[in-house]
Parts: sequence; C-alpha cells; structure tokens
Amino acid sequence: MPLTSQPLPFPPLYGRAGFSGFPSPAQDYEPRTLDLNERLIKNPAQTFYLTATGDSMEGWGIFEGDLLVVDRSIPPRLGHILVAMFEEEVLIKRYALYQGTPHLCSAHPHYPPLPLEETDCQLWGVVRAVVHEYLP
Amino acid sequence: MIGLVDANNFYVSCERVFNPALEGKPVGVMSNNDGCVIARSAEMKAMDIPMGAPSFQLEGLRRQGKIHLLSSNYELYGDMSARLAQLLRDACPDVAPYSIDEMFIYLDGFSDAQCQTLGEVVRRRIRRYLGLPVCVGLAPTHTLAKLANHVAKKQSHYQGVCLLTANSPTTAALLKQLPVSDVWGVGRRIAERLAVSGIRTAWQLRECDPKQLRKRFSVVLARTALELRGTSCLEMNALEQPRQRIMTSRSFGKATGVKAELHAALRRHAQRSAEKLRQQKSLTRAVLLFLTTNRHRKDQPQLAPSAMIPLASPSDDTRIILEAVREGLEQMYRPGFQFMKAGVMLLDLVDAQQYQLSLLRPSTKAHPHLMNTVDTINQRMGQDTIRFGMTEAEAPWQLRCAHRSNRYTTCWDELMEAGTHPGAIAAARVKREQQQLARAQRLAQPRA
Ligand SMILES: [Mg+2]
Repeated sequence: MPLTSQPLPFPPLYGRAGFSGFPSPAQDYEPRTLDLNERLIKNPAQTFYLTATGDSMEGWGIFEGDLLVVDRSIPPRLGHILVAMFEEEVLIKRYALYQGTPHLCSAHPHYPPLPLEETDCQLWGVVRAVVHEYLP
Repeated sequence: MIGLVDANNFYVSCERVFNPALEGKPVGVMSNNDGCVIARSAEMKAMDIPMGAPSFQLEGLRRQGKIHLLSSNYELYGDMSARLAQLLRDACPDVAPYSIDEMFIYLDGFSDAQCQTLGEVVRRRIRRYLGLPVCVGLAPTHTLAKLANHVAKKQSHYQGVCLLTANSPTTAALLKQLPVSDVWGVGRRIAERLAVSGIRTAWQLRECDPKQLRKRFSVVLARTALELRGTSCLEMNALEQPRQRIMTSRSFGKATGVKAELHAALRRHAQRSAEKLRQQKSLTRAVLLFLTTNRHRKDQPQLAPSAMIPLASPSDDTRIILEAVREGLEQMYRPGFQFMKAGVMLLDLVDAQQYQLSLLRPSTKAHPHLMNTVDTINQRMGQDTIRFGMTEAEAPWQLRCAHRSNRYTTCWDELMEAGTHPGAIAAARVKREQQQLARAQRLAQPRA
C-alpha cells in the first residue's frame, strides 16, 4: 500500500499516572509553555505582520503567501531582508552589495537589483522572521 | 517638565503607514455611515475642504482622482494609538493618554536640556518605528505644554519639538500674540466676558490677579492664569476641551484584576462620560477604553491594554455606550494583571442638533425624556442614584464602510502585502480577479 493512503503508525500510548490512581507528579507543577511570540517578537509595539506576494524571493526561502514578521526598530544592515517602499510600491528584498554599491536584490534572474543610490527608496522595516505554513 | 506628544493628522497618518501611495496627496477620512470628513491631511486642508464637509459634495473630486476619501478604520487607529503609548512608556517614567493621539509625559527631575533631547528621541522613534509624525511640546504646566505643542506644529524651525520655560522672552512673546480664547480651557463665552474687562491676550490673562479671577470668574480660570506663569495647578482632567472628545478616567483605590470590578469601574466612567456628552449636546462616534497596571510595582507584570469600539451610528445613549464598554472589556481583558487605572474616552463627537437636521443620517439618539430624567435624578440625588443594568441585546456593531482600508494590524486576512518585485502585487490581483471571473462563468454556464 502506498504510504500516502496509510496513516503513519503512532507509538503506543502509555497510561498517564492520573488514570491508574497514582498522583501525577505534574499536578503541582505548572509547566511554562513555550511561546512562539516570545521567540519571534522582540519588540511587540514595533512589530508588524505582512504577507509576501510573488515568486522572486523563493531562492531565499520566501514563498507567496508567507507571513513576514517585520520589526521596524532594527537598524538595517547588509544581508538583511527588508521591506521597503520603492516608487509607491511596498517590496520585500534583500539588502546587499551589487557591483560594490548597496542594492535591493531579489533571488530571481528576471528581476535585476534595484540601486539604492539616487532613488526615493525608503525603509519600512526589517524582516525578523518568515513563517511558512504547510497546512491551511 | 510636562510634555504633550500629539500626532499630526493622526487618522490620515495611520492610513499612510500602510499605503505609501497616499503620501503627499490630499487624503480625508470619513465618519462611518454618515459620510462627512472627520480628518484631513495637510494637502486637503490646503484645498480649503472644511472639517465636516459632507462626502457626497466631494464625490466629483474623488472620481477625478484629485482627492482620496477613506472610511474610518477605528481598529487600525486604536491599535496604532496603543503602540504609540507603549513607545512613550518605554522612554518616559510616566505617561497619561489624553486622547487617541495625544499623550502627556511627566518628566520630573529632568533638566531642560534632557527634556529637549528626550522629546527629540521620542519624536524620531515614533516616526521610524511606527511611521507616524508627531510633535512634542514641553513646559512646566499642562496649559503651557499644550501651547508649546501648538507652536511645535505651526512653526517649522522648531522641527517638531518645542520647549517653553515659564519666564523666557520667547514664551512672553508667544503669550502676547495668543488670543485668550486659544488658551486651553478658556471657552468662547469666558473669552467674551474677559474681553469686556480688556483681557484679550493670553499674556493679559497671565498678568491678572488670580484672586480677582477666582472671585469674578472661576477657580479654573484663576488656575489657568497661574499655569500660564508656570505654576502647575491643573489636573489633566480639568483641561477637558468640550466638543471634541470626552474622557473620564480614575485610579482605583486598590489595584484589581477582577473582571467584574473593572467592568463596574468602566461602566461608571462611561455613564459619567455619557452625561457630559448630553450636557454639551453632542453625539459620539466611537468609544475607547483603557486599563493600566501600576508602573511603580516593578515586581508585578505590566500591561496597558486598550480597545476601540466604533458605534454603528453617532449616539448619546448610555445603553449603547455601555454595550460598547462590555464588548471592549471582552476584547482587552487579560487575567493575571493588577490594574490600577481605568478610563473611557468618547471620540469624534458631533453636534447633536446639526446631526439631527440631516434626515439622511441615521443616529441612535437616546430617548430624550428617559436620559434627561436619569441625568436630573443623578444630579439631584448624587451620582449613581440611577444606573443602567446590563443590556441584553447585542448592539449591531457592523458598519457601512465602503472605502475602509484593511485592518492591517488586527485581522489576519487583511495584512499589508509586500511584493517580491515591482508589479508582483498588481499581477497577483489580476490573477485573483481572473480566477473569480472564471469561477463565476463556470457557475453561470448551464450543465450540458
Ligand atoms: Mg493630533
């Protein structure tokens, strides 16, 4: 049978202490649950969520519909992925050197790097994380 | 020193953060449902389009693409306001919101130079981190801080931050030019009475004998004169400016995290605010609630939640405002925090009578006899003699908002898009429309 039509077997479940009458050691211990916000969002008031649209950043792992966690308080540095306003459009690009000068680069040969010098490009924020969801 | 941080054209500025194409263009924000302009960009003010202009009169300009008109997006403005307050709390020891886009900061023990620097830092941060332009006025009193803020806004050489000391020649020169009616808390009627006594400028008011002012006018006016001299003696809440917004806030005697207690406090403030609203014969378009924990208790977790509830149509009905309070508390309440202060703000007020004259505009004016009776009894027998019970029915909060921008910060389905290359967003939109069209055509075709 092909793997796709067969649910993967789960390891067997062992009874929890509570069921068999033993006091659970977890009872008076509130576990501190890991919080994804804490990991991805360092500055809540300065952080905004955006969605990526387009295919030209796939080479750097950013796909259409991905969630962008953008922190506006991070000073941009070469190598960062930035959200920038360029000729009235909001773009997501990588901030990098191209032929020795800073450019906004995409990961696709069809889209040439946009030079930052002598353009009215403005920084919107720095992308701290990208969330790609595999299931709806 | 006291600072007043005030955002420039706040609603329009919020819209521009997420729609950079609006930068530099005439933009107006309309009230919900009734369709008049309640906020304008500098470019729209320059076109002499007045505040409150009915939007149907502007439809031609809008169609020609000469102006942009947006429905109000209260969720967005409320969220940006909360972020602004948080940035201030990160930088200043004490912050008190005064309206949705005005916050007082209290800088006790800072030198003038330090205050100036802090003002500049705060202004730069809010601009960079939130994309919002603000001006900062700094002075020894609330009244002078408001004036300093006005100067920072109007006189560009201050670069958005103006510090006024009580006895400087600059302050004196400003007060001598300022009509007394422009002083905070001096209403038109008092200004007329002052004019009879020859008091026309803020400087003349400042030079008056406070005892005489107290005898002939009011305690508040006497204190205002003292404030102009640099003696801080007015509470923030005494500075109510009627006809724009109404706020009632108070610290609890004892901090509480109990939802029912918070609800009771917010309901009391809402009832008081609604009374003030009816007294000045206004209707409100939106209700803003906030709670703050005690910032001095460093050992306790800190939180300052807020909630913005737009009303379906302008209202002065306590029951509708209380329903907004219930909904707002539901949105912002988090267990595990000890709250110290609660407040209710009524925003974007309209004149009730003017509003009623237009038959096309729906409003939920309170049953006048009922509300009058309640207010009279409460005034005579003491506050809270008659209070409103919980309303059962859910008020319809759905709004007509044909031109509302996305709720970029509060709705997962409405986030701002970033294109991976120029034209990507437009291409995606075309593709979506084609898919929708194809689907519609498929459905419309008769089965073979
Ligand atoms: Mg303002």
